[in-house]
Amino acid sequence: QVSELVQFLLVKDQKKIPIKRADMLKNIIREYRNAYSEIVKRADRTLQEVFGLQLVEVDTKRHIYILINNLPHAEGQHLCRGKEKEKMGLLLVILSFIFMKGNSVKDSALWEFLHLLRVYPGKQHSVFGDVRKLVTEEFVRQKYLETTPIPLTDPPEFKFQWGPRAEKETSKRDVLNFVAKMQGKDPAFGATQFSEAEANT
Amino acid sequence: ENRESMLNSKSNRLTEALEEANRLFGGVRRAREAALDAQFLVIASNIGKEKANELHSEMSAFDSTAFAEDLLTFMGINRTEVEETDDSEDVPGEFLPSDAWQKVGEEAPKYFRRAPTFHYMMGSFKSEPPVRKQRIERQKKASRGKAERAMPAQLKEMEQSHQEATEKEVERILRILQSHFENDPNTPISFFDFVIDPNLFARTVENVFHVSFLIRDGLAKIKLDEDDLPIIEPVKPSEGGEEDSRAAARNQVVISLDQKEWK
Repeated sequence: QVSELVQFLLVKDQKKIPIKRADMLKNIIREYRNAYSEIVKRADRTLQEVFGLQLVEVDTKRHIYILINNLPHAEGQHLCRGKEKEKMGLLLVILSFIFMKGNSVKDSALWEFLHLLRVYPGKQHSVFGDVRKLVTEEFVRQKYLETTPIPLTDPPEFKFQWGPRAEKETSKRDVLNFVAKMQGKDPAFGATQFSEAEANT
Repeated sequence: ENRESMLNSKSNRLTEALEEANRLFGGVRRAREAALDAQFLVIASNIGKEKANELHSEMSAFDSTAFAEDLLTFMGINRTEVEETDDSEDVPGEFLPSDAWQKVGEEAPKYFRRAPTFHYMMGSFKSEPPVRKQRIERQKKASRGKAERAMPAQLKEMEQSHQEATEKEVERILRILQSHFENDPNTPISFFDFVIDPNLFARTVENVFHVSFLIRDGLAKIKLDEDDLPIIEPVKPSEGGEEDSRAAARNQVVISLDQKEWK
């Protein structure tokens, strides 16, 4: 059962859409419900010892899980299919913007920023295609970003924050390092952000 | 509506608005007005929160425009001198190379602890195939839907091609038999002459196999001639009706033929 669960998780993780406990129970564990937590624990151990991955629960109420990499940031070539890398690049830029702007931004502010990078919500992008869909749907479904409507706004406005997957896969400190690298500055330059990042490690 | 002006940190408009709302509330008589007042408070408190946020970030100012410029530089933007032309979204003369986002993409994975996406090394014939050796087991379990569709589709194809081949062969043999009888209607063919392939025993067996279909379907019949040797002839469609075919004895015959005999 354990190896089946491991395989199930690896395949499910391909699209980076978080995995629900209900799906695990339905497809793999089925009759062995009572042993559920034991099976999951062992699967996690296998993932860690064999693959260097970790099963993390990002929603304790609704029991939703993701797989993250346990190994330290690997330098060097990653085998990435399709546009994975470019999407991560865009995501990193967005996460940086959100963090540097105080952890929460209005959607209009985000799009205004992306405009500067020649990325427009209404226009097909040569690399990303439908960017609005990528940002508001794909990244949100993968739990990299979280979007909440701002009440009583007409037309409705939203705010963007880091999603739980972003919280687990990266850190404020890492993101700050990225920002500093782009600016060619020392991370300690943005004083408030730096202390916040430090506090979060 | 005046959200933006209220957000301006220098303005006191928010305070003024709140004070006015307070005053107006004294004159409220109806529920609808009270509801409006409540709505106003929600909006006001949101604006207040935003103002507080702005205050916070102003302390260690983050210049997003400068950050964007830095990103563009990193992406390898080509800044050239350009004459004043129409203001358009894509500024002519500032050329963003096609691998701009690739550059960022190369840098990005270093900041994430992302589980590498699981891919099969040898590729697959349909999406979401099972893993490695446990291919067959997997098809029953995790990738249920798609895998199940893949398997039956494959088998169906194979069976079909088998069936087709057999049918074609049977038809071919029937035609040979018929054409022979057209030329020579009164000379039945010896069964053995018909089926035996002088060179290939396997072929012979195949021929017997195919002929058996013809017999089964009533398209040919085997009789015994004077020497008690089987002969085969096609059944003419006009021959008798239902009665005849019912009357025709349906016998099961086992013919054994081994390689020695064949030789």
